Amino acid sequence: MKKMSKTLAHTLAALLACGAMSVHAADKVVFQLDWVPGGDKSAIYAAINQGFFKAEGLEVTLQSGRGSSDAITKLASGSADVGVGGIAALMTAVAENKAPVKAIMSIYAKEPDALFTVKGSSIKGIKDVVGKTVATATFSSSNALWPVMLKRQGIDPDSVKLLKVDPTTLAPMLAQGKVDATINWITVGPGYEAVLAQAGKTLEILPWSNYGLDGYGWSMMASDKMIQERPEVLKRVVKAMRKAFDYAIANPDAAAADLKAMVPEIDAKKAAAEFRSSIPLIQNEVSAKDGIGVFEPVLLKTTWEWVAQSMNYPVDKLDPETLVDRRFLP
Amino acid sequence: MGTLKHYADRFAPLLAFVGVLLAWEAACRLFAIPAFVLPAPSAVIASTTEIGAGRWVQHLLATVQIALIGYLVAILLALPLAVMITHSRLLSRTLLPWLIIIQSTPIVAIAPIIVVTLGAGMLPRVVITTLIAFFPLVIATATGLASVPDELLELSRSLRASRSREYWQIRMPYAVPHIFSALKVAITLAVIGAVVAEFVAAEVGLGYLILFATSTFKVPMAFAALTLLVACSLLLYGVIVLAQRLLCPWSLGKEAGQ
Repeated sequence: MKKMSKTLAHTLAALLACGAMSVHAADKVVFQLDWVPGGDKSAIYAAINQGFFKAEGLEVTLQSGRGSSDAITKLASGSADVGVGGIAALMTAVAENKAPVKAIMSIYAKEPDALFTVKGSSIKGIKDVVGKTVATATFSSSNALWPVMLKRQGIDPDSVKLLKVDPTTLAPMLAQGKVDATINWITVGPGYEAVLAQAGKTLEILPWSNYGLDGYGWSMMASDKMIQERPEVLKRVVKAMRKAFDYAIANPDAAAADLKAMVPEIDAKKAAAEFRSSIPLIQNEVSAKDGIGVFEPVLLKTTWEWVAQSMNYPVDKLDPETLVDRRFLP
Repeated sequence: MGTLKHYADRFAPLLAFVGVLLAWEAACRLFAIPAFVLPAPSAVIASTTEIGAGRWVQHLLATVQIALIGYLVAILLALPLAVMITHSRLLSRTLLPWLIIIQSTPIVAIAPIIVVTLGAGMLPRVVITTLIAFFPLVIATATGLASVPDELLELSRSLRASRSREYWQIRMPYAVPHIFSALKVAITLAVIGAVVAEFVAAEVGLGYLILFATSTFKVPMAFAALTLLVACSLLLYGVIVLAQRLLCPWSLGKEAGQ
């Protein structure tokens, strides 16, 4: 009986999906960002401005966030339906509070964390950080991974002086030589280049994925409520987002223009550069092997192992498979 | 000589302001201070053209709207609370600890919780603004209402004046100067409250713009937004001063002309 009603619901949902294109009112979806608008999020703005959501019968409202954990809290508390954020933050949120949120599509198949330094500095590789001063944002998700990454490279984390500061002070401190390196996501590189240029310096990026850091990063998520109550709407959101990412990867400048059209404060040129720097995180050997958006079980497990180790959780504290819902991928 | 002094008196604040701006600009140029440390006034002015005037107005109105609504709610809450506190010792002993708890809680720290509880709309922003602005209003009004000389209260009671007449005709006039001082403090707090709220959750507004600009290293734009915010606070403060002068000129007392 239950099965039959489920089939019925699916048929009904499919019918509704067809209907939504023409006659039905658009489905309203609140889309939670993990930070203020920026170039790395160009694809999401393209999805709205290019009408990819509209074509799926969706009316999407964007809501800016203040960090991955903030975005996940908004999803868990029901003030947003879908969102983006680091999957490591989701893993922590579920391990700590059983947050009712699932990852539904991977965006970055590589971790975006990196060490930023200036060209010509004494830091040429990760081993050179011994005895140096490195600054990081106080609430950065990279902070937990940092000591684990160093240990796996045979470096004592205590041999590096780590300063925790407000994120807005990182680039100026690096430019003024107050610190030897900073910890950032590689997607913010273009902004740092602009600041460093004012001090006559050039940016050098050492991605942690070159030093053994493996796993999924930025991901699309949905609340359990959305997954249970409106699965077919969610499927269309994912479909539109896939289209939007394809579009943005093929036309970064046009996607940045879409962002600029909706957020006038944006510097379109810098936004395009930021999106370009995120493309290798989306399209790489991992996505070539498994396909874009996929959560491949082994890499998902590796991602969890990194998080577990950095948060001092027992590895069996949770099964990473319970954090993802793959049904919404095309 | 007299006229010179008169002019000096009149233009000294303006001259000081221009002097500081010039010194600031000169320091930035002379020591080649990079914009990410301290942008020169000229760079701040130039940054205002990065977005259109319409967008600036949109940001400004969003913040002013939240500040004013929060301010009005704070007034509507504070006045009855102050009357209750003056009216009954029991209520005063029950309510005051709560007011002090609310006031001594860093609203900045609990703002994200308020947003999560109340959703991402306008409501949490108004609540945050109200929480930050209402305390001085309650305390000042209560102090004012209690500052009436006992003889006057005894006189009104001996003439069998009703409680509402006691409040409106005897206590209120004594409280008005206190209330207006608190209104002036609270309007600047309301602007700060609106900005705090926008830091936590907003898509538009000067607080949002400052957060956006600093997180994308557009420091000159952040300074421009800050300047607009300060100007807005000064203007709102001026409006309260003007309102006091027009509505209750007698309450100005010795501070008249300020």
